[in-house]
Amino acid sequence: MNWILALGGELPLPEKVSLDSSILTEQFYFYTVVLMWLIHVGFMAYEAGAARRKNIMSTAMKNILTIAVVTPTFYYFGWYIYGCFEEGWPKDGHNSPAALPGFCGATAPWSDAMGPNLQDHVSAVFFLAFLLFSWTTGSIMSGALIERVRLSAYLILTVILGSVVWIMDAAWGWSSGGWLVTRYGFHDAIASGVVHGVAGAFTLGVLLNLGPRIGKYDREGRARTFRGHNTHLTLMGLMLIFTGFYAFYAACLVIQSTTFPGWLNIYLSPTTLGAIALVITVGFAGGFTGGWFASKGDPFWTLSGGLAGVISVSAGADVYHPSLAYLLATSGGMLAVFAGVWIERKLRIDDAVGAVAVHGVCGFYGVFLVGIFAGGYPTGINSVESSFGGQLVGMLAFLPLAFLPGYAVSWLLKKANLLRVPPEVELEGLDIAEFQQDFFPEFERVPETIVLPTGEEVDSAAVLLDSFSQVTNGHRPGARIGS
Amino acid sequence: MFDSFPFDEWSDEIDAFWTFGPGGSTGTYIMTVLGIILMVVAIVGWVRLEDTKLRAQAEALRAAGGLPLPGLDPGPGPSQPPFAGPSTDPGT
Repeated sequence: MNWILALGGELPLPEKVSLDSSILTEQFYFYTVVLMWLIHVGFMAYEAGAARRKNIMSTAMKNILTIAVVTPTFYYFGWYIYGCFEEGWPKDGHNSPAALPGFCGATAPWSDAMGPNLQDHVSAVFFLAFLLFSWTTGSIMSGALIERVRLSAYLILTVILGSVVWIMDAAWGWSSGGWLVTRYGFHDAIASGVVHGVAGAFTLGVLLNLGPRIGKYDREGRARTFRGHNTHLTLMGLMLIFTGFYAFYAACLVIQSTTFPGWLNIYLSPTTLGAIALVITVGFAGGFTGGWFASKGDPFWTLSGGLAGVISVSAGADVYHPSLAYLLATSGGMLAVFAGVWIERKLRIDDAVGAVAVHGVCGFYGVFLVGIFAGGYPTGINSVESSFGGQLVGMLAFLPLAFLPGYAVSWLLKKANLLRVPPEVELEGLDIAEFQQDFFPEFERVPETIVLPTGEEVDSAAVLLDSFSQVTNGHRPGARIGS
Repeated sequence: MFDSFPFDEWSDEIDAFWTFGPGGSTGTYIMTVLGIILMVVAIVGWVRLEDTKLRAQAEALRAAGGLPLPGLDPGPGPSQPPFAGPSTDPGT
């Protein structure tokens, strides 16, 4: 069809409607992309607020440069993985009928679909929506690593996560032709496991090699707590993430404005935008509630509980009753707190923002819940019933797919001495080394404090000096410290 | 008012024009390869530039014989040293 003719009113009504529908689809995804930027604004504020004053800009710069590295890598090979790896490896003859004929070829970077193609209003904006999901996976990992990871190491890791790992699992379990969907009825409609769980598992692998921040644990292995420089900024960041999440949820749907039922989930099963939006809202309510009570009113964990609640109900957001979502999200908010404390105090893993607990644990929890509460739902174009077994297969596929690359790549970076900043730089603060300046020049510096395992808040200088001595095998810095 | 413009004719002309296109042509392959080269060079550049900065700063701190912790009295000298606090503040 020569769509331009429609502007002149010379096309028949059905073709005009078809053109109108494609323009509507184009606008829909475009605005979800615009609003999803708020997720990244939010992650930047959230993490910068959680960082100490000496590490603010190095923390924020990670979020900004995520866009600089994930965008080209996702364009050059990430999108192709999604389009062509539904069976695990590119090949003809998928188990499913070709739900989207020609989609694989359209994802190549030299494809007509990726350029100014007057016949295709949808491919480019659909790509952009997925690109924003990719940035999100990087941002999920970003906060956990702050205050000691090298910026460049993070960028390499986020390329692996954002342009290879997550999009591979999306091809397998978050597409209409993915083998987990067409064979096992795997159901993760709004990406509990596909985005959050996988990013959390990848992050866990990285944290094992990265190690804790200097001073995080005392000689007995008990956890201390660093004071972020601006908790209000952190909470505002979380609220921005929540706002962007509505666009994230909407972008997970397929819009068909001229065909009943109008909205489809990623597996091309019918749903509605309203149902999804209601579940996410109730999910926040339940998550805040669970986070508040499990943490006894801690502000950070109350808001993180909201995120955890939503993630816990995302996998089944297209089928859950709001009351069920409320109950499950409350349990997810509580689970995040318990898991976060356990990871910090028992596993002694320094996850600066609780990303593994909130995204990783609750992401896989969400996938697990679908097997229990949405078993029997006919998923995808083959109408394979979702089941606990199918969900389990998905989790067993995703866990190693995410954890092993995170662990392996960070191990290689560690061996090359490119994973972590030198201890002297970490103690001084990354901003001086990375940017040669303090980012609050007009404000007087005040002593940095740290919360001991006993709950007592003290000047951190002596504590950090002692910890520095531990990590540098007894080397004592000069008397300038503390003098 | 736009109805008076010859959009069908214009669209035919524009359809055939895409910088270094159309899709799947030699031009698009070359542009793709150039873009990938830039992408790889940028990532390698980030690694090398940061490594240089961090090593220099760590060496300066070691050479100064002390580590300044933010929040402590920086002593005499510039309140906002341009690089490596202790290396520009040797009097303490």
